[in-house]
Amino acid sequence: MRARLAAIRPPAVEGPPAGRAIIAVRFREVAHLPEPFLPARPPLPPACLHVRNHFSRPDFLAGIRDMSPPLIGLLPFGLVCGVAAQALGASAWGALGMSAIIFSGAAQIVAAQLLAAHAPIPVVVLTCFVVGLRLMMYSAAMAPHLKPLPARWRHVLAYVLTDQAFAASIRRFRDSGDAYKGASYFLGTGVLLWTTWQASNLAGYWLGNVLPAAWSLDFVVPLCFLGLLVPALEDRPTRAAALASGVAVIVLDPLPMRLSLVCAGLIGIATGLIVEARGKR
Amino acid sequence: MSGTLTFWVVVVAVGALNYLSRLSFIALFARVEMPSLFARALRYVPAAMLAAIVVPAVALRGIGSADPVLENAKLAAALVAAFVAWRTRSTSATILSGMAVLSLAQWLLRAAA
Repeated sequence: MRARLAAIRPPAVEGPPAGRAIIAVRFREVAHLPEPFLPARPPLPPACLHVRNHFSRPDFLAGIRDMSPPLIGLLPFGLVCGVAAQALGASAWGALGMSAIIFSGAAQIVAAQLLAAHAPIPVVVLTCFVVGLRLMMYSAAMAPHLKPLPARWRHVLAYVLTDQAFAASIRRFRDSGDAYKGASYFLGTGVLLWTTWQASNLAGYWLGNVLPAAWSLDFVVPLCFLGLLVPALEDRPTRAAALASGVAVIVLDPLPMRLSLVCAGLIGIATGLIVEARGKR
Repeated sequence: MSGTLTFWVVVVAVGALNYLSRLSFIALFARVEMPSLFARALRYVPAAMLAAIVVPAVALRGIGSADPVLENAKLAAALVAAFVAWRTRSTSATILSGMAVLSLAQWLLRAAA
């Protein structure tokens, strides 16, 4: 409705360029209205200009700045993922493809472990999917903030949605209340994270043989997830979910094809739901 | 490697599913109301899945001749790192403290032995 009013209102006499751009964008929003509703307007800006008009450089840079400290922890994690790809016998393109296409440390490590254990493809894919359900929760939490953005923005931002980028950006969206500022910030965290992730994976792939085993660098992986797990234990049901899953994964360890991982996860989720339902009664 | 094809099938399939998970509510079901049981279940995914990854890596011994010193050092490192994670909520601080304790504990245990 607001967009329609903006379209009917006569254009500002000769506004500054920014004002003109906003009018043009509003014009785009009402482009589907019947002809009489559309007054004469300047031509539509190309889509890239549309994005550029809403891109907030300070917020993008703030995202890069705020994402830099967490990167210290992610560098060794990326190295370990690269080492895992190399141990699997993948080519350099394979390692890069893995980090760029999957772009999730948890899924990459789990996939590499299961492939090394010769698990069948459906088991590998299913386990990684359940591990990645986390991302669906982030997606749901992020969705209301990204709703005002055009599809192009949302498709790109979805690709760079990770644990760390989510944790940093969701705060920014809540604080700023401006979709485009939040999105630019999110894009900044995502771009920096993506670049570092690819570089550290490749470095791990090439340095795999040089890194001394005595460093136990692979212990970085559980530590990284511990850093995400502890803040997730925010109430009784989440703690029960983690406890049940942790016990189940040990008990079910003899299961073949590392099915213990996905089974324990599902048991933990069910436990969380049960404890939540009991608490309400 | 058993097959380059297997590797690429897994990479593409997992990558596609991961992207669809990320895209799900941001774009795909933006206009659909989420079923409430599913929404509630999603809340427990991080706690359950992360615990399922962390616990065996810390508590289960590696295949074959596991080094008891390393296993004990891992346990100590995980406990300290969990405390640091709880206090700081920073992944970097968690990793750095955990790796530091792992090295220190190994060195101490080997020196004592």
